[in-house]
This record gives sequence, structure tokens and C-alpha cells, in this order.
Amino acid sequence: MSDNAESPTETQKDDPSIQHAATEQTGASDEKKKIDVLLKAVGDAPIMKTKKWSVERGRTVQSLAQFISRFLKLEASEQLFIYVNQSFAPSPDQEVGVLFECFGSDGKLVLHYCKSQAWG
Amino acid sequence: MHLGIFKITYNRTATHFMDDCFVNLGEEVILTLLQNSGTSKSANMAGERNPASCYLDERTFQLCCQLFLQHSETIQDGWSWEQIKGTDEGFMKKTVLMPVKPSVLHKQHEYSIQDENMVTDDIQANVEDETAGVQAVCEIHAVLRYEYHVLYSCSYQIPVLYFRASTLDGRPLSLEEVWSNVHPNYRQRLQQGPWDTLTQQEHPLLGQPFFMLHPCRTEEFMKPALDLAQAENKRMNYIVTWLSVVGPVLRLDVPLSYSTEVSAPD
Repeated sequence: MSDNAESPTETQKDDPSIQHAATEQTGASDEKKKIDVLLKAVGDAPIMKTKKWSVERGRTVQSLAQFISRFLKLEASEQLFIYVNQSFAPSPDQEVGVLFECFGSDGKLVLHYCKSQAWG
Repeated sequence: MHLGIFKITYNRTATHFMDDCFVNLGEEVILTLLQNSGTSKSANMAGERNPASCYLDERTFQLCCQLFLQHSETIQDGWSWEQIKGTDEGFMKKTVLMPVKPSVLHKQHEYSIQDENMVTDDIQANVEDETAGVQAVCEIHAVLRYEYHVLYSCSYQIPVLYFRASTLDGRPLSLEEVWSNVHPNYRQRLQQGPWDTLTQQEHPLLGQPFFMLHPCRTEEFMKPALDLAQAENKRMNYIVTWLSVVGPVLRLDVPLSYSTEVSAPD
């Protein structure tokens, strides 16, 4: 896989269902199983070098958040927040495939994320 | 719970924060005494009156709630408005029955086994005619009753989520049990500082013991959403955004349709 992103190899091994969109196998029709997700940082959240990801439809928001948190090396005291449609936080149990159906456009789902020590 | 609010007129912007929070609203400066002050805030979070302000006045709170409630009515989501008699104050309320693993209740050892049996007996009595498969499922879970209240906080100028939780036989959950029922997505952060996050608090309007999700850092997750909406020239409903973030922490589901069907107040 060629890419210019610094992705921890452990996440690649742990999450075969989340892959760089650029490295999709040509010829394989993954449209049904995977959707393209574009991750955009807001606030002072770290920007991911790889922003476009191919994610299995059945993946939950929670597991995507965990993936991003590991990728960004967030500390245990930090909470990641994900927004869809600019200003709505989807339930952590929501499947990304459903979000894509509702809010996807131009073949991708745009999700914004930020981090904070939000409670207390 | 409610502390004094003093109104002082200045014609300069107050930008200094110590223990008190100065909020600049044009030519008026409202001095609010925060209960859990100590976190210093930067000047640009002074909440200037612009569309991206993280603060919410009570009138806008009520308007947002009314719009929220209209959609709740449409999809039968179970929210209602409770008006405090003789005042113009009120709050949104919803009661949910949720199945949980009995391990959530294991914190109070002397009650747990008895509670599970009582709950199971109740459910079995109701499903006598059901198949054995359904009975088996009912025996695995306990059922809790969660009652959520969305209140407006005058001192913080934002909404706050209160709730109380009990078993079906009316036993209130302990703080430890409530913590153990926080959604796993947030549990790690909760464990870093549980007392900062979710504590027992007297309900400011009902005077009864409730739990409360601490509001001090609401702006940290509201500001990005507010900025995004502003950048797209979209007006958003503060309550929809806010509840979509805090609700799931406490197992409160806010369906996606709120995001598209609820408008912002004028």
C-alpha cells in the first residue's frame, strides 16, 4: 500500500474494515460494503494526514471514534466528538452506513471531529 | 443552586476572568458567579453576542425546546414540557425504560440478587403466553427506569441535563451504578474524573435528588458545532445539537431525524 500518511501499523492490522480510500483494490466492487468517509478537524483538533477513509457500512460511530482517537494518539482524559451535518452528534451506536444514506453527498460522508476534556 | 446575578453597565469590553465570568453583551456586562469556578477562560470565550456564542438566553432555550418538542410529537419520541406553576420557567422531560445487564446493578451487593429475581418475576408474569425463547431473553436483563430533564441554567446560561434512575420496583440507583451504566464510548473519560462529570445534585426546580451531567465545559463541544454552522451560514437549534452530544452518554437516544427536521428559532 502506498500512501503518504503516517498511520500506525497496528491500526491497519486491527481494523481491516477501515482502510485508506486511496488504496482500494481496483476492480473490486466495494461500494455496497464500504462507504467513503471524509474526516475534517474542527477547533484545535489535530488534523489527520489521511482524511479520506473507506469504512464498512456496519461500522459504528463509536468504533470509528476509537480508530480516530488511536490514530491521533489521544490521551485517556480526552474525549473525541464527531459531528454529522455540521452540528449533530450521531449516537455512538449508529452505523456509518446509515449516516451515509442520510447525509452522504458526492459519494462520501463528511464527518467533523474535535477533541476536548469536555466533562466537568 | 442559583447564585446572584448582578447587572452592571459598562461601555468597555470586560475581558478579564478570575473566579467570576464576565460576559460581554454589547454595552451591558453581566456578572455571574459560577459555582465551580476555578477554570480560567480565555478572553475570546467571553460570549460576545454573535451567532457563534456558546451561551443561550432563556428565551432562546424555550424556543429551541418548543421546536424540539414539535418533532418529538411527530415521531412519538416521548418528550414533554413541564411548566412550573406560576412562573415562566419550565423544562423538557422524558422517561425511558431500558434493559441493562444485571452486572450494572451489582454495585449494591445486598440488593442485586433480590432485584434481579423480582424484575424477572415481573417480566415472566407478563409473557406467560410467549415462547420460551422470549422468556429466556427477559431473564438475562434487568430493566431500569431513567427520567431525563432538560433544564436551563441561569448561572451558566446553557442547558443542563438532569436525570434520575431507578429499578422497576422503585429503588433509586446509586451513583456507582449510574456510572457503570454510562455508555462505553464515554466510560474511559468518565473514569478519569467521575466526580467532575456526573454527580448527584438537587433538582433546582423540583428540589428532589437527581443526577446531573456537569455543564462547565459545554462550550468545548458546542463551540465547534456552532462555528461550523456559522461558516455554512446555517442556523442551528442549540438544544438539538447539545442533546445529541450529551444524551448518548447517559443512554438517551436522539434520533437522526432531529438533525434535519427541527428548525432553528428565528
